[in-house]
Amino acid sequence: MDSVYVIGRDAVPSYLRLDSGESLRMTLVVPEGESCRLALEVDLDGPGASLDLAGASMSTGTEQVDIRVTVRHNVPGCRSEQLFKSVAGGSAKVSFDGLVYVASGSVHTVAHQQNHSLLLSEGAVCESRPQLEIYADDVECSHGATTGYLNPEELFYMRSRGIPEEQARAMQVEAFLAPIYNRIDNDR
Amino acid sequence: MDDLLKDLTRQEYKEGFVTEVEQEFVPKGLSEDIIRLISAKKQEPQWLLDFRLDAFRKWQKMPEPHWGHLKLPRIDYQDIIYYAAPKKDSERPKEIDPALMETFDKLGIPLKEREVLAGVKSKEVAVDAVFDSVSVTTTFRKTLADKGIIFCSFSEAVREHPDLVRKYLATVVPAGDNFFAALNSAVFSDGSFCYIPKGVECPMELSSYFRINAAGTGQFERTLIVADEGSRLSYMEGCTAPMRDENQLHAAVVEIIVEKDADVKYSTVQNWYPGDAQGRGGILNLVTKRGLCRGAGSHLSWTQVETGSAVTWKYPSTVLMGDNSSSEFYSVAMTNNWQQADTGTKMIHIGRNTRSRIVSKGISAGHSQNSYRGLVRVNPGAVGARNFSQCDSLLIGAQCGAHTFPVIMNRCPQAVVEHEATTSKISDDQLFYCGQRGIAPEDATALIVGGYAREVLSRLPMEFAVEAQKLLSLSLEGAVG
Repeated sequence: MDSVYVIGRDAVPSYLRLDSGESLRMTLVVPEGESCRLALEVDLDGPGASLDLAGASMSTGTEQVDIRVTVRHNVPGCRSEQLFKSVAGGSAKVSFDGLVYVASGSVHTVAHQQNHSLLLSEGAVCESRPQLEIYADDVECSHGATTGYLNPEELFYMRSRGIPEEQARAMQVEAFLAPIYNRIDNDR
Repeated sequence: MDDLLKDLTRQEYKEGFVTEVEQEFVPKGLSEDIIRLISAKKQEPQWLLDFRLDAFRKWQKMPEPHWGHLKLPRIDYQDIIYYAAPKKDSERPKEIDPALMETFDKLGIPLKEREVLAGVKSKEVAVDAVFDSVSVTTTFRKTLADKGIIFCSFSEAVREHPDLVRKYLATVVPAGDNFFAALNSAVFSDGSFCYIPKGVECPMELSSYFRINAAGTGQFERTLIVADEGSRLSYMEGCTAPMRDENQLHAAVVEIIVEKDADVKYSTVQNWYPGDAQGRGGILNLVTKRGLCRGAGSHLSWTQVETGSAVTWKYPSTVLMGDNSSSEFYSVAMTNNWQQADTGTKMIHIGRNTRSRIVSKGISAGHSQNSYRGLVRVNPGAVGARNFSQCDSLLIGAQCGAHTFPVIMNRCPQAVVEHEATTSKISDDQLFYCGQRGIAPEDATALIVGGYAREVLSRLPMEFAVEAQKLLSLSLEGAVG
């Protein structure tokens, strides 16, 4: 199953349950100007279930974007991938709170979670809470989180080749969000 | 597996003995009267008593924190003896009781100035030995005093250097900081005080050794370290306690102030009694440790090896206030049986170009729960701040848990924060490889864990590294099944 949700346009489910062998590819997009508080829970209840979840947010005004995701691996042999990227400018506040829960006995679980954020301005705030709660030993779990800003060397490179600063910055942001946006193009 | 479990229950916590000495106690319970009594026993000035009472009043209004990923046994604060001290021979008040001498000897802590830690012939180490609520002795004080270094018990510091203590006490961890820090501020008994003057490099390792002995007591020590401009210091801390079926409370506060261009390295090997294989007894280790990198270019490094305690609740933190200051946190936390650990660090970036690095290695075995909890916060003015965190967890056995709860808060558009964490077990391939070369599974596990923890262990001072390695393999015993 493939699905794209644009916040402000589509209603996003708050609970999903995947049974044996089911797989879900889901992409969430928070467009500019949209504030939201999203809470999504996913239960992986059947062996072999797989979840591929991604999200992007672009906020450059006074938006407040709050995304909370809980993924529970309740049975052995499930897989989950999460990738969330957000850009915060203006005085926007973005936060991500993601929990991967692996129940006791859920061996051969593969779970990866990533959250990357870019801060564009002085007033912007970004918070990230990637969490792992693991009660089984034979698992492969990881998470990563970064927050950063536009690389000045990249900017310099582009400007030295005649690209105006404004446009160069836009390109950097676009490149940052590309892994998420590319999913949408393919889906359509 | 059964045999191994049996081995484990038989495995001894070799520091678990009790020393028979005559001790004096204050009555059980906690009230303003008890605090006045403790203060009077220590002949403290009025300002310190006021500080204690103020902390106590704050504490009374605070709820016990339960946000940790821990099942904390109920603590009855009225059922604890807050002060226990070995009795001094009234005719020879200057001499150390031979029984205490023997105790520290047995623990490998030299109270005479010619010996060295753990039989390793290397540099000399100055020790402040704390037994229950009092400091027994502090070695090498003369040698250090020649350089202008003050290293003594907290009580002595209050008597002899009241201005320094008053100037720095509770500047990093305020009395009302949190529930356990407030409790400590109200009833703290002894601990170490250390002041390194401007431009002085401390010629030897300084160390504090904490020993809980008496039953029904808690230990509440307070350590205050001040490194003045351009000074250097390496500080070590160790601790053990007897085996008992009831839990004992240990709520300490450590404050470190690092001035301009000073460099402090703080190492801990925590080996409190962890409880038995059924999870009975053990120390509740609920401590607050925090350092303030106040001056520009200051540096503070935390290294900890946590193998003991039934419950560990500990977050050595650094406030990076000075520009270009930096801090590191290296940790190995090992839990076995029914131990629970919730430990990590906080890095608060305030100054420009501040840097921090976090390396945390958790190892859980048996039925234990091991969590990393951390905060990296970058304030708006911290231009050029940089943080990197790496938190790995290793699971040994199917009944344990390993958790990672980092928080990143960034408000500066010119700062970079990176965090990564992995959870895995010792792979069958690694064990097979070792087995093929004739290394038994247990030894192979110790080998792999040693390699896994090496990045942290290699940061420890020599004297500690040897002991830490031994501790890790001991704690692991019987964990492989």
